[in-house]
Order: sequence, then C-alpha cells, then structure tokens
Amino acid sequence: MSDELTNHIASAFDRDLEGIQAQIMKMGGLAEVAIMQAATSLETRDEELAQKVRRGDAAIDALEEALNEEAARVIALRAPTATDLRVVLSVMRMSSNLERIGDLSKNIAKRTGVLIQMQPIGSTAASLRRMAREVELMLSDALDAYIQRDEALALDVIERDRDVDQMYNTLFREFLTFMLEDPRNITACMHLHFIAKNIERMGDHVTAISEQVVFLTSGRKPEEARVKEDRTSSDARLSPELDQDGE
Amino acid sequence: MYDAPNTELHVTQNDIKIAARKVQVYYGDTHAIKDVDVDIEDKTVTAFIGPSGCGKSTFLRCINRMNDTIDICRVEGDIQIDGEDIYDKRVDPVQLRAKVGMVFQKPNPFPKSIYDNIAYGPKIHGLAKNKADLDEIVEKALRRGAIWDEVKDRLHAPGTGLSGGQQQRLCIARAVATEPEVLLMDEPCSALDPIATAQVEELIDELKQNYSVVIVTHSMQQAARVSQKTAFFHLGHLVEYGETGKIFTNPEDTRTESYITGRIG
Repeated sequence: MSDELTNHIASAFDRDLEGIQAQIMKMGGLAEVAIMQAATSLETRDEELAQKVRRGDAAIDALEEALNEEAARVIALRAPTATDLRVVLSVMRMSSNLERIGDLSKNIAKRTGVLIQMQPIGSTAASLRRMAREVELMLSDALDAYIQRDEALALDVIERDRDVDQMYNTLFREFLTFMLEDPRNITACMHLHFIAKNIERMGDHVTAISEQVVFLTSGRKPEEARVKEDRTSSDARLSPELDQDGE
Repeated sequence: MYDAPNTELHVTQNDIKIAARKVQVYYGDTHAIKDVDVDIEDKTVTAFIGPSGCGKSTFLRCINRMNDTIDICRVEGDIQIDGEDIYDKRVDPVQLRAKVGMVFQKPNPFPKSIYDNIAYGPKIHGLAKNKADLDEIVEKALRRGAIWDEVKDRLHAPGTGLSGGQQQRLCIARAVATEPEVLLMDEPCSALDPIATAQVEELIDELKQNYSVVIVTHSMQQAARVSQKTAFFHLGHLVEYGETGKIFTNPEDTRTESYITGRIG
C-alpha cells in the first residue's frame, strides 16, 4: 500500500474537490494581478490602470461567493472527512483571505486616484511597489505550495512576511520624516501610509493562506507565534519626532 | 505517559471495560484476526469500522464468545472484561452472554408476544422472583429501548407484527433486559430507514450512560455520529484506534484515511 492517497471510488467527488481547488487558484491569480497592478498604477501614476483594479475587485468577490456556495454543497452532499474535509475548510478560509486582498488592492487603487493629483513623495511609490512585489511573490509561492501540498514552501512564505513587516516599518519612519519636514506633505503621506499598511495587511493574509497549507498537509496549525521584532509603529518612544528634539 | 498539566484533561476518561491482547482468530486455515490489542472503555460507544471481510464482526463476536458456536473457529490471545479472562475454562458462555448482550443486523424478535420477547431472558436467568417483578423488568427494558410508549397497549401482540425499526428497538430492549454491562451491536441499523436509524442512534447515545457499547457499522457517518472511540480494521489488523473526532478529521494511517474518505472499499 503506497503512502499516497488514490482517487475516490466516486469520481464525481474528485471532480467536486478539483473544481473548488481550481476556483481558489483562479481567485488567487486575480488577487496576484490586483496587487501588482494597484502598486504599478501608483508608481507610474496610471489612472486608467487604477480604475481597472477598482473594477476588477467585483470578479474576486463573485468568485468568493461562488466558492462558498460550492463548498457548502460539497459538505452537504459528500460529507467530506480527513484530507477531503481539510481541502474544503482550507479553501473556504483562503477564499476570505483572497477576498480581503482584493479589497485592499481596490483601496490602494482608490488612493492612487487621489495621489496622482499631488506631488510625488520622494521615491516612496517605488518602495511601495517593491513591497507589493514581495507580497505578490509570497502569494504566488503560497498558492504553489497549496497545489503541490508543499509544507516547507508554505513555512518559508510565513517566514518571509517578516521582511514585509520590516519594509512597512521603514516606510512608516520615512513618511513621518516627510511630514515633519513639510506639513504640505501630510495629505499625500497619510494616503501613502494607508497604502503601506494595506500591503502589510496583505502580507498577513498571505501568511494566513500559508498556514492553511500547513493545516491541509499536516492537520495542524503552525505552532510558534511570531515574535514582533520592530516596534516602531507600536511604541511611542521610538518616534522620529523625539530624535528631532535631540533626545 | 502524559505530562503533569495534561492529566487534568484525562480525569473524565472512563475505566477500561474490555481489554484484548494479541487476539488471533482462525477459521480453519484462514487467519481472520491478527494480533489485535485494544482497550475498550466503559460508558462509551466504540465503533468498529472497516471494509467487508476486515474482521470487525469476527472480533466483535469474540467479546461474547459467539465464535464458540462455529466449529472451525479458533480464538487465541487474551480478552478480559473487568480484568477477568472470558475464555477461562470456568466461564459459562451462557452467563457471559447475559453480561454481554448482542443486537444483530436484522431484527430477530422471537415468534412470541412483545412481552415474552423481553421476559424470556430474565426468566431463564432467574432475575425475577414473581410476576410483578417480571412486569417491572419488562417495562423498564422497553422504556430503555425507547419503545414503551409505542407498545404498552399491545404487550401481548406478536413482536413480529411491529415495524422494522420497532422490532430492532424491541431487540435492543430484549438485550438490556438481562442487565448486561456490555452491549455489542452488529450493524444494528443496516435494515432500517433513516428515521428508525435516528431513533436507534438516539437510543445508543442514552445507553452509553450505563453500558459499554460496541457497534460494528458500515456507515462511516453513523460511526462519526454515535461513537466516542473508533477502531479501523483492515485485512484482520486493527490499523488505528482513537478518538472518533481525530479519526475522522486527521487520521494517522493512510489506510484509515483512504477508507474513511472513500478511496478503498
């Protein structure tokens, strides 16, 4: 007896499970595109592309709804157990993470529409694009890990979210500095900061997706809670204003 | 064993009712049960699942020595109930079967009245001193079998005139009438419709307050619904035994997983 699970005796069950997994991959693909296009539209100040991202979110939302209905149908009709149950549960959880990534991309695209009408703030748009690129690569790997049932790759993605958090903290300091230099930067910096925060949140959603891959392959959640390394954004004593006061 | 902080989680764990060690069963040259070790808890429903011919019914029938009735069948190893070896020469199989009741796949009421179906066992085991005693035993058993309300006005009608689901509950009532400690059920719902099945499952859930119930079932969903512990048998081996929730969400063995997810029959 091999260690690999074979097909179901009821082949329609296999088709159902393949169906929802194909849908989650499609949703993931759309989310990847949304992340990158939102960040690119900001850097290249491309209102048309930003509009495309804003409109595209409806497709991701529709897929989430279809997926949840399909998953509910599989639960009702097939009573999945063990790995099959974990496939259905993980797909449902991942779909809500991907839906949130779609929303956050849409929010970035909305802010882009406003930011295009203002002066660019240094090279922060390029930094944001690099940060978005990192999250997009993480998502791409998380989805690969899902399809290939690759727990090691999923754990690697979870690890990489630290880099994204680091990039966010760096940008946070940068925006504060720009705002301190010139109050006229504040509106733009506030929007840019929300964009950075959105990308950082997307990283968290990708982490959650990777955790679902670990759950799917092993039946467990990854144990260790991540240690927060940089506390710039959560500790008032670390604010750059204090540096300026000579403290 | 367990670390100190874990022990609290296990205080509710029930005592071991049936302990089997290195059980082997042969039908002539066929080795039907191979090296089965299992501890079955008291006041718990334990489900035996597995494909046809895996040995689950054979093993169940070892627990009340029903296999003694088959000439070519040979049982080796050790099975203890409450620490007593049931295959000891001094054990009377008839007395053992009063202590270990059994319910079969097809309802098999005696061709007698409903009352006599229940009264038969207590009578031959001398559990009733007089008619009033016997009446009480019959009513109590029918109530435990969750069928009293349906038959109380026709206790002297033939048991065979009841519906399939009622007949099966009558058989369960008959099995509990001798005050057994263990109840063995060999696919008790396979001949019943979903409503009667639900009634029997509800009954099994109530019975576990007083008995150790062991049920063989081909319905994985039934095992999931009624049992707290599940044992998966495959080709005569006990492959995996554990908490039902764990077996159905995250089994250890690939063979268990393949079976419960519908990949091997």
